[in-house]
Amino acid sequence: MGNAALRDIAVIDDVPFEDIEGVVAVDAHNWLYRYLTTTVKWTSSGKYTTTDGTEVANLLGIVQGVPKFFENDIVPVMVFDGGPSELKSDEIESRREQRQTYEDQLEVAREEGDQVAIAQLESRTQRLTETIQETSRELFERLDVPVVEAPAEGEAQAAHMVRRGDADYVGSEDYDALLFGSPLTLRQLTSKGDPELMDLDATLAHHDLTLEQLIDAAILIGTDFNEGVRGIGPKTALKAIGEHGDMWSVLEARGESVEYGDRVRQLFREPNVTDDYEFETSLEPDIEAARAYVVDEWGVDADEVERGFERIEESAVQSGLDRWT
Amino acid sequence: MFKAIVSAETLTSTLDSISVLVDECKIHLEEEGLEIRAVDPANVGMVDLSLDAAAFESYEADGGLIGVDLSRLEDIAGMAESGQLIQFELDEETRKLHIQIDGLEYTLALIDPDSIRQEPDIPDLDLPAEVVLEGKDLNRSVTAADMVSDHIALGVDETDEFFYVNAEGDTDDVHLELTRDDLIDLQVGPARSLFSLDYLKDMNKAIPSDTEVTLALGEEFPIKMYFGFAEGDGQVTYMLAPRIQSD
Repeated sequence: MGNAALRDIAVIDDVPFEDIEGVVAVDAHNWLYRYLTTTVKWTSSGKYTTTDGTEVANLLGIVQGVPKFFENDIVPVMVFDGGPSELKSDEIESRREQRQTYEDQLEVAREEGDQVAIAQLESRTQRLTETIQETSRELFERLDVPVVEAPAEGEAQAAHMVRRGDADYVGSEDYDALLFGSPLTLRQLTSKGDPELMDLDATLAHHDLTLEQLIDAAILIGTDFNEGVRGIGPKTALKAIGEHGDMWSVLEARGESVEYGDRVRQLFREPNVTDDYEFETSLEPDIEAARAYVVDEWGVDADEVERGFERIEESAVQSGLDRWT
Repeated sequence: MFKAIVSAETLTSTLDSISVLVDECKIHLEEEGLEIRAVDPANVGMVDLSLDAAAFESYEADGGLIGVDLSRLEDIAGMAESGQLIQFELDEETRKLHIQIDGLEYTLALIDPDSIRQEPDIPDLDLPAEVVLEGKDLNRSVTAADMVSDHIALGVDETDEFFYVNAEGDTDDVHLELTRDDLIDLQVGPARSLFSLDYLKDMNKAIPSDTEVTLALGEEFPIKMYFGFAEGDGQVTYMLAPRIQSD
């Protein structure tokens, strides 16, 4: 998921939840994926599988994950991926292949009754099925959590929304958010502790780079959309960009090439995004409808989601004393 | 006119009670003693403090108003050793406060009171439940709740007649019940409200553990906490707005 090598470049600080205010444009696939992997790892499948065998672990994940936003007076806006960018289909294809391997291994693990292996593999074989895509949107609707449909990458759309001032942060684990120009990105929103804040301006200032140069450096290292140049890691990339100015000059000097380099660059510089979205920021979740959807309609174990719904119900906003004067 | 001598402890307790909410405040120099009222910028927490003339070694005032930078004044108070006396004299002409601590003279420039946030109106609260407990029990509750959550629920169970504290985190919970036997006094009434621990923690810092604290509570209502200091010649009332469910 994204380019972990960018972590060595990015300026990242822990930030307490209480210090976060406003709207977070969440990369919905990325966020859901996190919950799917953890839910499936720690919860027995019977709790989130319908009688006909459809897995809806996403519903459990959403009910666990949404309260955190409500409790901290943060408005989440879920940005769903549109069709994959043409270039990304290679990676998706290879993820699919990898999943097939995992599924074969899972079969073996199940036959052998190796619980640890099963848990590990189950978490990796999770995917956003049609059902998951659809039921997630349905549940968000009942929880009054706004959903925005991105034309392509959710992350790019989320970054675009922050740049336009309609959201305050991008929520994504993916370091690529930086390349899409996300000014402030919150990572680890799904984790127990404090989130991390990745700051674009601080990153550029720290390395004395422009965003274009950062994108070029990332392409040299390798992104979701291209293989990097062998032997170029974060340090070398930064140094080379600093010396030669841009990606092409670096490649020329080293006698290397990057396949589709131009198009990858274009994809980050001018991602396919839209201004055609709107959402409300005062949320009024319909807990009863959400509970009915998850428990009655999809047969998720009521006990498993009770806590999450309670937390949403009880999530409260700070009042002012002037209310009583 | 303002001339007073006060012990370092009394001054420090006074300043600490206020500085948990604001950086600057107005001090009313009344004939009967000092009065301070302040609210934090978000209008969530309020303090109302009075320090009677009897709390001072000597006290003379005629109703003036000064504005002070609390951290500056706290630093000065910190120069005094425990048991030492601090002497104040206001120079009306220069609007400066002369402070003396055992030969040390400090001239403090005051802040224009008009530049300090307006003093709040005190909310008119009719709170049905009242809990009187030792500061250390409140301390303990707040510390435990803070380990698991950012919020704390305080309430009174009317049927079984106890005061309770609840905090729910992502994974861990804290629950504490104090019955009549554990409390100094309990007046039962419908009460349950949720509060931000950020504020409560700060207020709690100013509450001595060996002090008797009275909590007045309602349902989704602000909490009022009052306690005495300076051997009863000083009184602090905190008010904290609840977190309420959006509707």
